[in-house]
Amino acid sequence: MAWVTDHHPTRSELDACVQCGLCLPACPTFRLTGRETASPRGRIQAMDAVAKGLVPVDDTFAGLLDFCLGCRACEPVCPGMVPYGRMLEGARAEIEEQVQGRSRLSGLLAGTALRSRLLRKLSGWSLAAAQRLKLTSLSPRRFRRLVAGARDLRQRGPSIVGYSSGEATKVALLAGCIQDEWFRPVNRATVQLLERAGYGVEAPNDQTCCGALAAHSGLTAQAEQMSSQNLDAFAQFDTVVATAAGCSAHLREAGWEGTEVLDVTVAIARAVSEGRLPELPPNGKEIAVQDPCHLRHAQRVVDEPRQILVAAGYTVVEIDTVGMCCGAAGLYTINQPEASAQLGEAKAQQVREARTRLVASANPGCEMQLRSYLDSDYEIRHPVEWYAEAIGSGR
Amino acid sequence: MTLTQDLREALGDENVLEEPVELHLFSKDASLMRGEPSVVVFPANANETAAVVRIAERHRVPIVARGAGTGLAAGASPTQGGIVVVTTRIKDIEIDVENRTAWVGAGVINLDLSVAAKPHGLYFAPDPSSQSACTIGGNVANNSGGPHCLSEGSTTSHVLGMEAVLTGGEVVVLGGAAPDPIGLDLKGALVGSEGTLGIVTRALVRLLPIEPDVRTLLMDFATVEDAARTVSDVIAAGVVPAALELMDQEMVRAVDNWLGAGLPIDAAAVLLAEVVGETEGVVAQSELISDIGRQNHATGVQVAADDDERALLWLGRKSAFGAIAQLAPDYYLHDAVVPRTRLVEVMTGIYGIAEKYGLTMCNVFHAGDGNLHPLIAFDSSDPEMNRLVHEAGDEIVALCLKAGGALSGEHGIGIEKRDLMRASFSELDLDAQARLKEVFDPAGVFNPTKVLPEGSRCFDFGGVRRELPDGVWV
Amino acid sequence: MTRNPPHIARLEVDQSLAADGAATLEPRSVDDVAAILKHASERGLKVQVVGGGTHSGYGRPVSPDLLMVMNGLTQVEVWNPDDLTVVVAAGAPIAEMEAKLNEANQTSVMPEHPGSGTVGGAISAGVSALRRGKLYPTRERVLEATLVTGDGRVVRSGGRVVKNVTGYDLHRLAVGAFGAMGVVVSVCLKLWPVPEGQMTVQVDDPDRASEVTRPLAVLETREGVSVFLAGTHSEVEAQTRRLGGTARPGHSWPVDPAGEFTWSLRVPPAEMANAIERMPDAWGFLAVHGVGEIRCSSDSFDPDFRSWAESVGGRLVVTSGEAEDFDPWGSPPPGVDLQAKLIAQFDPRRVINPGRLPGGL
Repeated sequence: MAWVTDHHPTRSELDACVQCGLCLPACPTFRLTGRETASPRGRIQAMDAVAKGLVPVDDTFAGLLDFCLGCRACEPVCPGMVPYGRMLEGARAEIEEQVQGRSRLSGLLAGTALRSRLLRKLSGWSLAAAQRLKLTSLSPRRFRRLVAGARDLRQRGPSIVGYSSGEATKVALLAGCIQDEWFRPVNRATVQLLERAGYGVEAPNDQTCCGALAAHSGLTAQAEQMSSQNLDAFAQFDTVVATAAGCSAHLREAGWEGTEVLDVTVAIARAVSEGRLPELPPNGKEIAVQDPCHLRHAQRVVDEPRQILVAAGYTVVEIDTVGMCCGAAGLYTINQPEASAQLGEAKAQQVREARTRLVASANPGCEMQLRSYLDSDYEIRHPVEWYAEAIGSGR
Repeated sequence: MTLTQDLREALGDENVLEEPVELHLFSKDASLMRGEPSVVVFPANANETAAVVRIAERHRVPIVARGAGTGLAAGASPTQGGIVVVTTRIKDIEIDVENRTAWVGAGVINLDLSVAAKPHGLYFAPDPSSQSACTIGGNVANNSGGPHCLSEGSTTSHVLGMEAVLTGGEVVVLGGAAPDPIGLDLKGALVGSEGTLGIVTRALVRLLPIEPDVRTLLMDFATVEDAARTVSDVIAAGVVPAALELMDQEMVRAVDNWLGAGLPIDAAAVLLAEVVGETEGVVAQSELISDIGRQNHATGVQVAADDDERALLWLGRKSAFGAIAQLAPDYYLHDAVVPRTRLVEVMTGIYGIAEKYGLTMCNVFHAGDGNLHPLIAFDSSDPEMNRLVHEAGDEIVALCLKAGGALSGEHGIGIEKRDLMRASFSELDLDAQARLKEVFDPAGVFNPTKVLPEGSRCFDFGGVRRELPDGVWV
Repeated sequence: MTRNPPHIARLEVDQSLAADGAATLEPRSVDDVAAILKHASERGLKVQVVGGGTHSGYGRPVSPDLLMVMNGLTQVEVWNPDDLTVVVAAGAPIAEMEAKLNEANQTSVMPEHPGSGTVGGAISAGVSALRRGKLYPTRERVLEATLVTGDGRVVRSGGRVVKNVTGYDLHRLAVGAFGAMGVVVSVCLKLWPVPEGQMTVQVDDPDRASEVTRPLAVLETREGVSVFLAGTHSEVEAQTRRLGGTARPGHSWPVDPAGEFTWSLRVPPAEMANAIERMPDAWGFLAVHGVGEIRCSSDSFDPDFRSWAESVGGRLVVTSGEAEDFDPWGSPPPGVDLQAKLIAQFDPRRVINPGRLPGGL
């Protein structure tokens, strides 16, 4: 009994890997450990061994895959075009099904809490309250990084969910779960920019969490439920814009028929290149750009955040030519605190070496990770926020 | 104590792996051969490696060194079981700018070395296609080549010294930054010995200054013969470019399908040529190469416009083996080298063999060196296919050797090509090589059964009477 | 064991080369070499191998019973210019081979002033061209070697192609081994095209040479510093302009300094200026910048200079001169035991140039 679900890595997916090893250097966990057991090729070999009945789906196998960030940096460098991210989710679904006693906190979060609007609101309120009372240091140890990296929620403004431009609506907005509670300014900047570009915007009320974190954790059933709820909410729209790289990546891969999902950086860069939004002259300031894995590796979106920042007048400083993961990786901070910390510190060091205090990151997890490792005088925002502010329609 | 207990005591629990699934991941390199290691260890330095060697000798188990596991001849596959020694923790780089050298840990990734040297205007010349992943230790063990070895030679020409662990766990430092070390070149014997003589833990390598200018040309041809003839003609014209690579249509299509670089997928073959040096020389040489290409009916000649375009072309070239995955789950490839004047006829012969066996064949290779990489894409789960592929492979090797070629240009012999050694060397030649192996490894623990075919040392020289020539009286 | 010189019927004897009653043998074929060595092994005779005799003072002296002169093995066996390789018998004089190769604008990158030196001699002594910084030393240019071991086995290593990792590199071990791995009887060399443009530029300081990337050679003698340029005409002209200084077309290679003692100083390249600084004015030198090799001459041996060289990770090796009370090599190299064991496998009775190598091997 090798595989028991319908999600497992298929024979053709496994055969797509010829073990050339070109993925190794792209893999952050291989870089950290130098071990085949912490590499994409090794993990695929482990899946292959399960498929061939050589090893069981057990704690050891789960441990190998738990250590994977799911950053998918191995995918763009793979000339065999192995769908690693898909296989990882499939293998994790098998682990959830076959390995007992894995009621992990993160699983509970990804599968249940993020779907519940009430629980999400609770998280926002309680964090804001803690920040007001300066009690953030009392958070549970595993969450301390998240709390330390969160934005100041004391004046976060209203949620965008339920908003409608009122005119002939063309573009729908996925507000996101964490994004909607903890990163409302990104969503508002997005709405303002899209409207200024001449689009109507609607953020349907009955939307929910995109389900990416559930899928990454192998909670396929929950992920599918969320996906189908969102499909109902968004099916009538031609275009859906998601403001977090993790969400846009997940929705794009769901392959909704007749609905194009765009990451907000792609939508805004497109509007700039079409002349719908202005390009400002250089302002003489430098900004460091950090590439979220689910933008750069999963969607191969590299140029767009830079185009937006240049349109905002900034000079872009590259911190990392290969886009190494910052270690946030969804719930990795909670599940693998040590490896996450090493990667987080390395990423922070790259930012420090850029010698500018302005930083752009297009994903909430990355932003929090960066903030928790950098001094408080670094300003870290989403590219669309930097742009919205620059063209004067910002907050 | 048991083997693993000894190893755990020497290296610490966290540096010893023995779970079945973990062992499985170290059971092969990038070749097709798999073994069954008993344990995998990660020493931090030469002393820990020496401890592992002593433990292996005490327990009489094989010891197989491994870097990134990108080898293509099963050199790092533990086919006799035993201990797999992974060098990836030994990853220090000390650059000596004035002497243009660097001491480099065996576990340092090849490309990382050149990246580290770049701010000093230096680079490490050997650049195997796997250079983004493969380690210096692996390069030294295999005497790795790469496209840019055409003008600068393979790894052995760039290793000036080394720290190595030999039999008995003896740690030696051989060579150094000063030229021409005295005595026998033991270091030269260790380079390319595929881990069968000892384990190199650090290497002192030569770094070269980055050339002031570079031109990369992409020429496409309507036939492979025209491309191959261009290669022969370029060499004959007295031009030795920095690199001269050939890819055939099947290969270009697979690569471009992934890369999306707009490579000429309709051409039967493309040549990638690179010249480096002062701008004036680079311009003159690239014009000469283009002219030779056109004389051989090149249907297109493009020059990479900038560093990005150049990098893209090389990424395509260096990712070719991996792109085979798009065609079939496995590939079998050879690495023979032929004299450059024989390229055209050998290439024609190789395609003929593939056709005869009805196999999917791609070619992507270091044409300027005459170093072929005929690559057969197939599914190894079909036993009949396996047989055909190996038969065709043997026929290809025979063809290359008949043309005055050599068995392997850069991948090594390992297990995959071991039994073909007899086609390259006489019994006396092999016996001499086996003597070298015996001197270095009397305990027989270093990567046993690799490189030399079984019975190499069995040759009984005493039984052969070599007669004196007529008229000689001594 | 006999001390009597063997009687030779067919093999020619050149008595002028014989010393101390050693018989001189001139093999005509590889089989002859094998027969002689086998015989020597059986009888325990010491054999000194002689090429052009240009390196006879290099290494510890041998008191031979037999002199084996290789000038009967001189033919260029295979030379297909378009392959940029040549297969040549070890006794071939370098000068003759080079003259032939030059006709096709090719070079073997052997020493520029070989005198009567042979290919096998340069390889066995491990000496290199002054162009070695750009075109690599002799060790890197030997693609294949056929050796005859001390006990008369004919062993081939390497191949006749420019890139090869098939088997262990016995041919590399033979370079600089003075025959200990076997007498070199035939080699395949990697050739290089001689570029159309050649210029020699006098500069006032070796550091000036950094104006051009990887010149063919930067050489310094008592007369000054010269940068040797090679490439296309336009390239060489541009480099010449950049260097400034007096330029003259072509390459006129300096000769090695001569004297009572000649020696080879080998130091890390960064130590060269320091080494030159330390030399008394009376000493002659030819420094190969960027490489770390300085060929020197003096009227006596200076042990302090050797101590200094060894202290910076280098060597001072005496290449000619009376060597009574000192070792021409200096401190023994690492791995002497291993070298001895290796030699025992290739020359079990230790008949080929015994004791000539460092460490008394």
